[in-house]
Amino acid sequence: MINRFLKKWRDPKERRLFYALLGGKMGGVALLFLLIAGIPAFFGTKVYAAEETVSYINPINTMWTLIAAFLVFFMQSGFMMLEAGFARSRETINILLEGIVDTCLCGILFWAWGFGWMFGAGNGLIGNQFYFLHGIPDTYGSSGVATLAFFLFQFAFADCTSTITSGAMVGRTGFIGDLLYSFVVSGFIYPILGHWAWGPDGWLALMQPAAFRDFAGSTVIHTIGGMIALAGAIALGPRLGRKFKRDGGGPMPGHDMTIAAVGTVILWFGWYGFNPGSTLSAMDLQGIGRVATNTTLAACAGGLSALFFVFPRTKIWDCGMTCNGILAGLVAITCPCYWVSPGGSIIIGVIAGVLVVLATDLLEHWRIDDPVGAWPVHGINGIWGTISLGLFATGQYGLPSPTGMDSSVVVKGLFYGGGMTQLMAQTTGNVIIGIAALVSGLILMYAVKATGHLRVSTEGELQGLDVHEHGGSAYPELEAVTQVR
Amino acid sequence: MKKIEAIIRPEKLELLRQHLEKIGYPGMMVTKMEGHGKQGGVTHQFRGTEYKTSFLPKLRIEIVVTDAQVKKLSDAIVEVCRSGSVGDGKIFISSVENTIRIRTGESGEAAV
Repeated sequence: MINRFLKKWRDPKERRLFYALLGGKMGGVALLFLLIAGIPAFFGTKVYAAEETVSYINPINTMWTLIAAFLVFFMQSGFMMLEAGFARSRETINILLEGIVDTCLCGILFWAWGFGWMFGAGNGLIGNQFYFLHGIPDTYGSSGVATLAFFLFQFAFADCTSTITSGAMVGRTGFIGDLLYSFVVSGFIYPILGHWAWGPDGWLALMQPAAFRDFAGSTVIHTIGGMIALAGAIALGPRLGRKFKRDGGGPMPGHDMTIAAVGTVILWFGWYGFNPGSTLSAMDLQGIGRVATNTTLAACAGGLSALFFVFPRTKIWDCGMTCNGILAGLVAITCPCYWVSPGGSIIIGVIAGVLVVLATDLLEHWRIDDPVGAWPVHGINGIWGTISLGLFATGQYGLPSPTGMDSSVVVKGLFYGGGMTQLMAQTTGNVIIGIAALVSGLILMYAVKATGHLRVSTEGELQGLDVHEHGGSAYPELEAVTQVR
Repeated sequence: MKKIEAIIRPEKLELLRQHLEKIGYPGMMVTKMEGHGKQGGVTHQFRGTEYKTSFLPKLRIEIVVTDAQVKKLSDAIVEVCRSGSVGDGKIFISSVENTIRIRTGESGEAAV
């Protein structure tokens, strides 16, 4: 082949043909390049990369809110475990089913009108929008978070409130009674009282000179839940056979400390969505970090405080009360977590651990049977946590915003030179909501009692709620085997 | 034939079984039970508050033996299960009218 080419190359005519063909091909390729460059320049439009500052903030904050919502929802399993563990085996199915059904019921009620009453605009007392989630904006308020993601987050919070209520009422509440009070708590008491503190035009949120501030719900979830729980325990009366300390008796021991303790730690885990998620903003990275740390330290301090407070009294290392102490610390830090320092969180937690023990003693003295300690943990420490903001707010932190922290707002407590202003706002808000919850709770529980559905019959209670209302024991293999299964 | 019924602390069961195995015994029946004698229960604590129980968990060991074996076995139980503290338990010895082995149908002392 090379020989043939060389032979042709020596012929000048062939050489001229070669150059012509080569020139033609190169010309063709040049024309092609011209077209490739020219046509788009003539017909096309320039496209630029999307503006970085706008496109990822809302998705990130929405994703953050949703992840937090999933964690808060997971607290339902923590509640189920804690309550079942602290109660007797004969009412275990009742507790588990009540938790599940209350969750389902709360979801529907919150969709139908709960979310609208709580987070819709209306007046200072109640919202009047978003019924059946109609007419919701794409993103909620100024948060930039997708409204339907915010809905899930708030539903998970609402679910916690009605679950807290059930804690003081285990062991003797009829299932229809459970359904009735869950319906009213999730559908009415919680959204209305919650609107006052968290609604866009809630009267406590708009108070002057200082607004009532409850970051993640020491008052809105825990005080409300704890007070209604107390109302329920009062209306029900103690379980049969329950003798109180002042009469020579004592509490009825829980049937499964394993599940109760694991449930406590699961609740602690879920609280990492409850508190940090309430920023609704991952862009406020310092905020979510600070809230997470404050939450942790309050839980640690609460647990140790309760443990070491109980030991000298009875020389017992008490697992149940330590669990309650951890939860008390978590409840207490829920309100102030954005605005206090880590050191302040520890002090808040230590006091919470002591308060939960003393409040349990108080219930024992008042002859009120609260099997899981719902009021000492949630009611009393919801109050303490709300008040503690007025004392321990450092004044360095404003409010979370979709792009970071809004420093234009100052929240300063008494111990940091802020005077009594915030403390008065906190006390006002908490006392009003607390009394409103207790009074409406008492009216609700006595109304359900009047229908005859609040407490089960004596035989039913002695048999155990599981056998009486749920078809059998939670642990059928532990019963004597009399038939071949 | 006699039945030795011994109420013992639950934690003594394994020690007792090993000792009886060494000295020889026909078999035993073990039942979980609760009860109290002079001690009348203990005080426990739940969530920081004390409560009293009337009954303590115990085990009931029943062994049906020939008359000749009664003293040896009941002495063995006393020796192993005594700790010196209140709540060690009691042994009751009663007469058995007859024993029948289900597998073979034999009865009397041979079936023990």
